[in-house]
Amino acid sequence: MRLFRLVLSLAVSLAGGGGALFAQALPSGPVELGDGVVRVTGAVSVAVGEHDERAFFNYTDYEHNALRIFRVSLTGTWRPTSRLSFLTELRSEDVQRVRPYALYVRVRPWKSIPLDIQAGRIPPVFGVFARRSYGTDNPLIGYPLAYQYLTSLRPNAIPATADDLLFMRGRGWQASYPVGSTTPAPGVPLVSAYRWDTGVEAHLATRYLDVSAALTAGTLSNPRVRDDNDGRHYSGRVAWKPVVGLILGVSAASGEWLNGDLKNSLGSYASKDYRQQALGLDFEYSRDYWIVRSELIASQWNIPQLSPPLITEPLRATSGFIETRYRITPRWFGAARLDGLTFSEIRGQRRFGGALKTWDAPVSRVEAGGGIYLQRNLTLRAVVQRNWRDGGRVHKRTFVSGELAYWF
Amino acid sequence: MPTAWVTLVLVAFVLAGSAGGVNAARDRMALSGAIRGRVDVRVAQASADRRPDVGALGISPSHIPPDRRRSVVYLDPAPRAAFDTREEPRKRMDQRNESFVPHLLAIVAGTTVDFPNNDETYHNVFSLSRAKSFDLGRYAAGKSRPVRFDRPGIVRVFCDIHSHMSAFILVFAHRYFAETDDDGRYRLDNVPPGTYTVAVWNETVHGDPPKRAVTVPDGGGDVDADFTIR
Repeated sequence: MRLFRLVLSLAVSLAGGGGALFAQALPSGPVELGDGVVRVTGAVSVAVGEHDERAFFNYTDYEHNALRIFRVSLTGTWRPTSRLSFLTELRSEDVQRVRPYALYVRVRPWKSIPLDIQAGRIPPVFGVFARRSYGTDNPLIGYPLAYQYLTSLRPNAIPATADDLLFMRGRGWQASYPVGSTTPAPGVPLVSAYRWDTGVEAHLATRYLDVSAALTAGTLSNPRVRDDNDGRHYSGRVAWKPVVGLILGVSAASGEWLNGDLKNSLGSYASKDYRQQALGLDFEYSRDYWIVRSELIASQWNIPQLSPPLITEPLRATSGFIETRYRITPRWFGAARLDGLTFSEIRGQRRFGGALKTWDAPVSRVEAGGGIYLQRNLTLRAVVQRNWRDGGRVHKRTFVSGELAYWF
Repeated sequence: MPTAWVTLVLVAFVLAGSAGGVNAARDRMALSGAIRGRVDVRVAQASADRRPDVGALGISPSHIPPDRRRSVVYLDPAPRAAFDTREEPRKRMDQRNESFVPHLLAIVAGTTVDFPNNDETYHNVFSLSRAKSFDLGRYAAGKSRPVRFDRPGIVRVFCDIHSHMSAFILVFAHRYFAETDDDGRYRLDNVPPGTYTVAVWNETVHGDPPKRAVTVPDGGGDVDADFTIR
């Protein structure tokens, strides 16, 4: 909290008086080597806020808190020819080990056709948010629920009964089940924005349409470097750009999501396909000083019906958000996001008296704040985030967070 | 902000107050000379590629790389005649192929610059510079929005949507400045006799700009002043 006050007072003093920070003194362009054949950029952001060791509303699938995180990333491209390039992004969070967030090759087979093929650890084609560059494209500090909030589902451990699942309502930060790995571990979000999947994708861009399709090893909620279940994950998106400033997109994905070891231990249930299937709609409109974005994602996971009370239907989750950013002056901007996540209902025996209940606790979130461009590529932001959850240890929680972000 | 700019503004006000009438200015112009030369900028050209973006699903179109060899040569301080006439012209900085064209524009204070969007995508031109802070918002192809620059100084121009787009506008309190051409050549005309400091601004130079003293003889004529920037 003390650190947050320090950041806030720095913002206020800068807003009032300015100073050397306001001059564009920090380098803003990529570092270039070999006449631009190799280019390196980077980003550093430090977000400070309160601890959250009870509610876990903002925990990510790497067990970091999105509202208090120190992130360093380096992006490099090597483009030996005009139609071939190699790209990577190395990222470290909270001074832990460096991970290759992206590592892929990009090829344009035909010079006159705007079709690109990418292979390796690639950006997801489903939806929009997971491809956005965090420092420059996220108007707030937190992430949308669909891309960050940990549900109680795990790919390597499953409930035997509906009661097992209902016991874990609101406990996606540390879910535990009797089948598969019995070690408590975090669940998965609908779509992970913190890990990218491995595979191959193609993208065709025209003036009015963007079409992309991918074949990868993991799933939306559990992207993987190595395939662990011999399943394939198909995903695609079509975006229509009828006029400048308006983008309408539709996405779909389907992939086998249960871990191979877990599936093999299921005996007669092992022969079935257990898939995550998702449908997404996205929208963006911008004009003058406004940007409005929205996404709606519906996902379902199939799991085996092992013991009564049975989980008879696929487990469904739906999440949607709308966010806006307004530039008040050249330096100052305001932003807000309304966000919701809800789940389908199941019936247990012991839990909730056998009544129908959502299989995980629905969450609502409002995040609002503002920021200042200290320089073109140095931004100071502060947000207030309010969360409501119909279950778990903590039902309501408000967080305040501040962030300093720099990119070059 | 370099100290030179502050000096330039102060001198401008002092000299403007003591300047003679239009006739006196004409007399001085009759004896004026020219300072000309070449600025040889030996730096690597910028890449035409965009800023690397691993989130992109394909190759983005190349943009026009900013020409770092362009420079602006100016007198520091300017002679008295610099402030005899006040022009308020219009200039233009295009947004084309996701680049600002020209990348470097030198204008006199009071100039209005139009920013037409000639691309098929949105741009959002803005600046956070002390000399002029502005934000034109997002506007589509075929539209243009103007900005008037009244304060001398260096204005860095960016696009909020395309991080690889940037440009410089140098706003002078006087008219004794010239942009270099494709070969780095420049010419400052109608310079009254006297000794001046000729300075060069180039975006690759950090710190004090290269300068040299030049004397325009009483009888006028051309004086050469070449520069090399590494």
